[in-house]
Amino acid sequence: MARLGLRLLPVVPFLGLLVVWVVGWAVARPTLATFPSVSQVVQTLGDLIESGELGRNIAASMGRWGIALVTATITGVGLGLLAGLSGVIAKILEPLAIFFTAMSGIIWLPLAIVWFGLGTTMIVFVIWNAMFFVIFSNTLLGVRSVPGLWEDAIRTLGGNRRQVVSQVVLPGAFPHVLAGMRAGLGFGWRALLAAEIIGATAGLGAMIFNATDFLRSDIILAGNLVIGTIGLIIDLAILVPIERRTIERWGMVSVTRRRM
Amino acid sequence: MVKAPTTRIMRTTRPARVPGPGGADGLPPGLPVAGHRPLRASARRAATFAAPLIALVVVWAGVKSLFGLSDDVLVSPAATARSAAELVRLGILPAYVSASLWRITLGAVLATVIGVPIGLALGVTRYGARMFEPFLRFFQAISGIAWLPLAVVWFGFTNTTIQVVILYTAMVPIVFNTLIGVQLIPDIYKQSIQTMGGGRLRLIRDVYFPGALPSIVVGLRLGIGYGWRALIAGEILTGLPGVGTLIFEARKFHQIDQILAGMVVIGVLYLIVDRMVLAPVERLTVQRWGVVRA
Repeated sequence: MARLGLRLLPVVPFLGLLVVWVVGWAVARPTLATFPSVSQVVQTLGDLIESGELGRNIAASMGRWGIALVTATITGVGLGLLAGLSGVIAKILEPLAIFFTAMSGIIWLPLAIVWFGLGTTMIVFVIWNAMFFVIFSNTLLGVRSVPGLWEDAIRTLGGNRRQVVSQVVLPGAFPHVLAGMRAGLGFGWRALLAAEIIGATAGLGAMIFNATDFLRSDIILAGNLVIGTIGLIIDLAILVPIERRTIERWGMVSVTRRRM
Repeated sequence: MVKAPTTRIMRTTRPARVPGPGGADGLPPGLPVAGHRPLRASARRAATFAAPLIALVVVWAGVKSLFGLSDDVLVSPAATARSAAELVRLGILPAYVSASLWRITLGAVLATVIGVPIGLALGVTRYGARMFEPFLRFFQAISGIAWLPLAVVWFGFTNTTIQVVILYTAMVPIVFNTLIGVQLIPDIYKQSIQTMGGGRLRLIRDVYFPGALPSIVVGLRLGIGYGWRALIAGEILTGLPGVGTLIFEARKFHQIDQILAGMVVIGVLYLIVDRMVLAPVERLTVQRWGVVRA
């Protein structure tokens, strides 16, 4: 019984918030423009699902995000590995990586709009931008922080350069690569929302921004709930299992893990 | 062995070297930081850092002229610098920069002052982390920018909107990381204070706060990083004076030189804030108290 209680513990704050919401709304009775009631949000959510609008917007957002993610991972990890393996290139690129990481993401929005106009290409570019530099920086760091001892060990056993890379560098850099991807996912998600809110084409961000014009706080809240849930699912369902199956199986501790 | 950054509260008299939370905020360490260092070493590090950037400017100029890109697509570094100088002369750039800096500073300070105590309070309870972690993760996923529309509905296109969103965006990672920081502290330190008769207050002052400090700093860094982006988005949306507005408005008139100048300023500003402000805070507290990230 205590076991069950322990597992259900994370639900408590959510329930608490729900109670506050219901009670608060009943007491204050705000207008739809200020804050929706639970029932209003639920109803709106149902309407959006039924009309297919939610599905369309989710598909639009996730599509863009997915393309950018794949591109950013391939380019970021690939270039990061290449750069990291050559000490000279790494030294040259490191300051650039730092500077561009500081400047990444929605700061490129106006320039991206000039180059690509409003629309999917622009949004994908902005997301890619946000993710790429973070992933690249972290991959670079990861490659360079692999202890030289490991490379020496493989070499004493007669390994050639290819084996050094595949058996030492790649797995050794993985915790940092994954940390970079985790950060990249977060930044990319934010960049997606910001670009959609400002670029205002179809998508979750656009959906909640358009609701502002009509003062429909219930749509906004419904949209936010969906956004939060998707973000949570991505974090828990994608990253943690990957972490578990690779890093922890290989006996390393991930950079983001912590003791309970 | 690649180990996770764990916190060990050590009794040490020499300042420990803090490698820095590479990856936590997306920024790897390696930039020269303000602080007490031999002058020649830091000058050399600055030069090593600046060289690739200078090379980048050269490449930039080369691409512009080599490909004959029109001024609608890319502007030369010289034109960008001229534009920046013009903006300074007109007083626009200083005013906008100070407005933005004011917002982010206020947001960060408030978020820390409110968030750290909350995080501490949640962290010291027995199942605090377990209970609140998914909750905080959820709100982190929603991100401040998603609340911008609602904030606009409530407060209109005003400064309050931007400020509130920054506060929220910065507070979530701060609370979350403070909570984790407290959870990381080995129990023995709490017990040792208690065996010596220490009460709650001493626990907070001597164990929880210093012990959680590395994580708090990580949270602060993340909070400022996210908050900075929320600031830009908020300024673009509301159109109030600020660096975000600067680059967005310039887009309307196709003033690429202004956009680029603004972007560079923003990047430099963020770097300055992160390295020159946060890193010294880290050194002065975390390093001095000997709390190492292994």
